[in-house]
Amino acid sequence: MSKIDDTRKGDTSNEQLFTLKKWNAVAVWSWDVECDTCAICRVQVMDACLRCQADNKQDGCVVVWGECNHSFHNCCMSLWVEQNNRCPLCQKEWVIQGTGK
Amino acid sequence: MITLKKKLQEAEAKKGNNSLGPQSIDRRATIRDKLLTKEIAEIGDHLNSNCQVDFENPDKIYEFTVIIKPDEGWWKGGVFRFSVFVSEDYNIQPPLVKCITRLWHPNISLDGNVCLSILRDHSLDGSGWAPTRSIKDVIWGLYSLFIDLVDFDDPLNIEAADEYKRNPKQFKQSVDTYLYRYAKQ
Ligand SMILES: [Zn+2]
Ligand SMILES: [Zn+2]
Ligand SMILES: [Zn+2]
Repeated sequence: MSKIDDTRKGDTSNEQLFTLKKWNAVAVWSWDVECDTCAICRVQVMDACLRCQADNKQDGCVVVWGECNHSFHNCCMSLWVEQNNRCPLCQKEWVIQGTGK
Repeated sequence: MITLKKKLQEAEAKKGNNSLGPQSIDRRATIRDKLLTKEIAEIGDHLNSNCQVDFENPDKIYEFTVIIKPDEGWWKGGVFRFSVFVSEDYNIQPPLVKCITRLWHPNISLDGNVCLSILRDHSLDGSGWAPTRSIKDVIWGLYSLFIDLVDFDDPLNIEAADEYKRNPKQFKQSVDTYLYRYAKQ
């Protein structure tokens, strides 16, 4: 089986993208929450997720954050944990710390 | 690829037309297409002569061909094509990838199955698919299969891996035989 090592990336454009992701992860607990993006649907967590936007159900879409301090849309994360109960950003077991708007 | 941007624009224009019609488009397909449009725009500028993407049909951005032309390693000089299908469950589920060029490779079977960890929908060690990954990572992974991700210890084509372990020269000959027959430019 061939595995990808995320730390080994070739060109600089890739490096930039990866740096950005790390920065996002760190930014979760800064006050600048508006800049934080859901890594699953790639929409800001303060906005409704891609699916809720498509369904026009913006109001019911909440943010969920785990004990690992990563946050996502609750809708997005509940789809993912059905398949793999790990945080897709840090691979730790997903334990919900809280939900909210 | 040079034509990628144009195709994307065409796809976008088509979508605009569709949204005026009856709202019969499957919702999951819409989500998938939205994610893909973003991802493809992102990879467009990073493709080079070793990795290309061909969208045969701009209406179906979820079906495309990745063309890998390694310029180093065992398969140097070959042109290898992979068909990619992105299901409605993207990006919770990984894209489905088949190799449509016959080749002699420990991690790609002769009938086109590809053994690449990020294409697996489930893994315990975090090397499998995750929605944080994107089409760019898939293309990068496929390219790396010819360079530094070649894995002789956990093969899909066991015969190819065994041949390499027995006799690397003979393995190279088999690689070349397939390459000249099926993968020449
Ligand atoms: Zn989301
Ligand atoms: Zn939602
Ligand atoms: Zn996490």
